[in-house]
Amino acid sequence: MTPTHRRSLGPLLLVLLVTGGTLGVIYWAVNSPDQVRVVLVRLVLISLVIFLGILLIRYFTLLWFGFMQHTERDIGERSDADLPPVSIIVPAFNEGAVIGAAIESLLALDYPTYEVIVIDDGSSDDTLAAATRWEDQASVPVRVFSKSNAGKATALNLGIANARYPFLFCMDSDSTVEPECLRRAIVHMEDETVGAVAGNVKVVNRDSLLTRLQALEYIEGLNMPRRAQGFVAAVNIVPGPVGLFRREALEDVGFYDTDTFAEDADLTLKLITSGWKVAYEDQAIAWTQAPDRWLDLIQQRYRWTRGILQALRKRKRTYLSPFPDFPLWLSALEMAFEAVLWPMMNVFAHLFFAIVALLFGMGELLLYWWLLLTLLDLAAALVTVSMEEEELSLVPLAVIYRFFFILFLDVTKSFAAIEELFRFGMGWEKLGRTPVLSAEEGA
Amino acid sequence: MNILDILITIIVVTILVTIVLGVVTYVAYKLRLARRPTVRDEPGGTWYFERHEPGDAIAEEG
Repeated sequence: MTPTHRRSLGPLLLVLLVTGGTLGVIYWAVNSPDQVRVVLVRLVLISLVIFLGILLIRYFTLLWFGFMQHTERDIGERSDADLPPVSIIVPAFNEGAVIGAAIESLLALDYPTYEVIVIDDGSSDDTLAAATRWEDQASVPVRVFSKSNAGKATALNLGIANARYPFLFCMDSDSTVEPECLRRAIVHMEDETVGAVAGNVKVVNRDSLLTRLQALEYIEGLNMPRRAQGFVAAVNIVPGPVGLFRREALEDVGFYDTDTFAEDADLTLKLITSGWKVAYEDQAIAWTQAPDRWLDLIQQRYRWTRGILQALRKRKRTYLSPFPDFPLWLSALEMAFEAVLWPMMNVFAHLFFAIVALLFGMGELLLYWWLLLTLLDLAAALVTVSMEEEELSLVPLAVIYRFFFILFLDVTKSFAAIEELFRFGMGWEKLGRTPVLSAEEGA
Repeated sequence: MNILDILITIIVVTILVTIVLGVVTYVAYKLRLARRPTVRDEPGGTWYFERHEPGDAIAEEG
């Protein structure tokens, strides 16, 4: 037996233990006397209500805070003279097919003074050639650097080291940005305690059910919490495709670390730890290409979950001590809840209630419980889609989103969390994709 | 079988099938990962190809 096989036994035993334990309890419950069964049915009822209660509190808090952020946002126009110069950093690894569209969208930005820095992280395709083509053609300074492959964080740090300006806008090379993106985001930097601004990421390829579900997920599942966190200027992940940073803040926290697979989450937590505010700007829009194959989607979410857990593990002492770093404590707890606890609870609750419904004849109760969950998702989808002035045709997808999509993804997130718990090795696997991005589509 | 029973059956079956599909897809992802060519530690090359530089051929011919 190889060491890898031996290490696989841990998570496998844990899953078997939990599953076996649950089935054992259910078997015992089915065969127990009537009085015990009555107590057990009551316990199931209470847990159903508790689960719904947690969900209601989560949705209500996120929607309310998100709505407040939406109504209080600053949409004032600034003259060109008031806008500071910005350096844009674009790390790229094997993105030859799409990097042209990313640079093209950057050159179309409605912003007075900025430069574009592309870092080719040792690509084996034509990324370097595709990026270099813009060096001489553009009216905006475009500089391209090439280095041996060492990961996204090192590419970003190299770009920052070569940047000339006091504000740094980091974006992914497989994304495009709206012309107003930078102009909207920079407004938040007028508050000198703001260290970073998270933008609004949207899905550009909406030509299949899978990518349309992700489009809804980005609006309802990812942007809704980010918008709510933005109300208290404590966004806990500045997303890779669109983030604006104050150079002083990055210097303060020591730039990007290279020891996690979620360098964006890790950096944001470092900023919050150092007392910097992290704002959200919903009009700073970036369009990203969502995975259009199921296995690629699973791969992406697996990496996200493990990366976030790695970032959280670096701050494990934080959970036990809310003071003096209360904002960090709250952010870390919220991140752990959204990334790990909630997905696991979701899978376990669905499985448990489905089995109990079958064995105890509580199907009707399960139906009403499920209907309430779906209604919640439909309401949340309607509110968030309206706030973002998005396609209303995405709202009915909330039924499939609740019925299938979230539960399906939560299974992978649960496995990823177990693997991270047992510290399985992992590598940065490149996502497969069919290039669809062009500057015209994105803008 | 009334409409309530049909709805309950659909929900229970969908929940169970979704969880099973989630597990199967996760296993498929791990299998795909395991079957990818292993990259050597040194720069360039995989276990499947021997890298030859143009200079090697000239040296062999000489």
